[in-house]
Amino acid sequence: MAQPKSELKKGKGAKAMSRLPFLFIITGIVGFVMYHAFSLLSLTGWLGDELRGPEGWFHAHLFVLGWATMLAMGAVYQLIHVILQTNIYSTVLGYCHYFLFTVGATGMLIGFIRTDVIWIAGSATLALSGILLFGLNMGITLYRASIWNPVTISAACACLYLVLTGLSGMLMGLNFAFGDWNGLHQRLFGAHIWMGTLGWFGMLITGFSYKMLPMFYLSHDFSIRLQKMVLVLWNAAVITGVIAFLTGIQGGLLWFALLLLTGALICYVYHLEQIQEKRHKSNPGPGIRWTVYVSRALLVYSMALLIYSAQDVELLLDSRVVLLTGWVYLGGWVSLTILGYASKIVPFLWWTHKYGKLAGRPGTPLMAGMLSEKRINHGILAMVAASLLLVSGILINLAEVMMVGGTLLSMISIVYISNIALVFRR
Amino acid sequence: MEQTSQLLEYLKEVYDPELGVNIVDLGLVYEVKEEPERIQVRMTLTTPGCPLHDTIVGAVKWVLQKNTDKTDIDVQVVWEPQWSPQLMSREAKEMLGYF
Repeated sequence: MAQPKSELKKGKGAKAMSRLPFLFIITGIVGFVMYHAFSLLSLTGWLGDELRGPEGWFHAHLFVLGWATMLAMGAVYQLIHVILQTNIYSTVLGYCHYFLFTVGATGMLIGFIRTDVIWIAGSATLALSGILLFGLNMGITLYRASIWNPVTISAACACLYLVLTGLSGMLMGLNFAFGDWNGLHQRLFGAHIWMGTLGWFGMLITGFSYKMLPMFYLSHDFSIRLQKMVLVLWNAAVITGVIAFLTGIQGGLLWFALLLLTGALICYVYHLEQIQEKRHKSNPGPGIRWTVYVSRALLVYSMALLIYSAQDVELLLDSRVVLLTGWVYLGGWVSLTILGYASKIVPFLWWTHKYGKLAGRPGTPLMAGMLSEKRINHGILAMVAASLLLVSGILINLAEVMMVGGTLLSMISIVYISNIALVFRR
Repeated sequence: MEQTSQLLEYLKEVYDPELGVNIVDLGLVYEVKEEPERIQVRMTLTTPGCPLHDTIVGAVKWVLQKNTDKTDIDVQVVWEPQWSPQLMSREAKEMLGYF
C-alpha cells in the first residue's frame, strides 16, 4: 500500500528530529566521561579548590556545559513533544545550536587549558550564539503552542535563565578583556553562577519531573497546586539571589533566597510524594526512584544550611560552604537526577530508533530489557556513597578523604555511563 | 460482536513497550470495528504527548494488516474520554503491581 505523502513527510521529520536529541545526549555522555577522566588524571587535586583560575574553570565548564547542559538540552529536544504535543519550531535551528554550542564549549575548554583569552572570548561567543538560538527556538515553540501550565512555564523560565546566564558570562568576559568595571565583575560572577545552577537546572529539573514522574509511575488524578507553589517560590529564590549578588547586599538577601528555595523544595518533595501516592505502577525503574531520593537529600541539606547560617548569614559566602553546596547541588542533585533520567531516556531513544517500527512483532525486545535495573540501582548507589565520602572530606577539610571520594566517584561514574552507553549495542 | 472480539484479540499482540502490558488490557482501545473496506480503531494513550504515539499506532496497523485481509487501517488517537487507570483489566493491574 502506498503511504500518503503527508505521512511520509511526517515520518521523515520525526526521524530527523530523533537524531538531534541523540547528538546532544551522546556528546553529553562523552563530556561526562572526559570530565571524570580529567579528574582522575589530575589525581582529583582540583576537587577541594575554589573554582578560580583556568584549571577550576576548565573542570567547572566541562561539567556544566560539556556534560550537564549538553545532556539537558538533548532531553529538552526529546521531551518537548511530550510536554507540548508539538515538535520543536525548527530542527535546522536545533542543528545550528548543536554545532555552535559544541564548537564553542570545546573551544572554551581549550582556551582555559591554554589560558588564552582570545580563544576563550571567541569560543564563548560561539557557545553563547548556540544558547541564544536554543532560547529563540524554544521561545517560538512555546509561544506557538501556547499551552501554559507549571511544566511549560518551568521550561520557559529555565531557558530564559540559561540565556541570561550566557549573557552574564559574556559580560564578565568583556569586563575581563576591557577591565572597566572591576567592582561589577564579582557581582556578575555570583549572578552568573546563581542563574545557571538554580535558574536553568533547577527550573528544568523540577518542571520536567512533573511530567516524567507521573509517566513512569503511571500516576493520575493528583493535584498540581504544589507545582504552582514551587514555580513561584523557586523563581522568587532565583530572582532574590540575583538581586543579592548584583546589588552586593549579599548576606541577608542570600539567606532569604535560601529560605525561599527551602520552601520551594519542601513543596517539591511533598508533591513528589503526592505523585507516588497516586501511582498505578509499583516499579518506575531505579533511576526514577533515585531522582526522588536525591531530591529529599537536597531538601535536608538545604534545611541544615538554612539553620547553620541563621546564626551568621555571612557563613553562606564562606569558601568551604560554597564548595560543599556546589558539590551537593551540582554534583549531587543535578548530576544524579540527570543520570537517573538518562537511564530511561537513552534506552527509550535507542529502542524507538531501532525497534519502534517492529513493535508488536514476535521477538521484539521490551524497552525495560534494554538496560539492567540492578546495574543502574547499584551504580547510582555507589555514586551516592562516593559523593558522600567526597563531601565528608570537604566538610572535615581532609584532602585524603576528598581524594579517595573523588577518585571513587570518577571511576564509578565512568562504569555507570558506559553501562548506559552499551544500550547502543543492543 | 464476535468479529470485534477477534480484532481485540489481535490487538492484544501490541504491547506498550515501557509498561510491558498489551494495549487492550491497558484499556487504551475504546472502539474497533470492521467495515467492508477498512478497519477503524479509536484509541487513546496513557498520557497526552506520549512519546510512544507513533510506535503504538504503527504496531496497531501492522498487527491488523497481518491478521486480516484489510490494508486500510484507520487509527484515531483521541484524548476524550481521557484514559484512567480504572480502564485497566485486572491482569494489567496485577502485572504493574497495582494490587
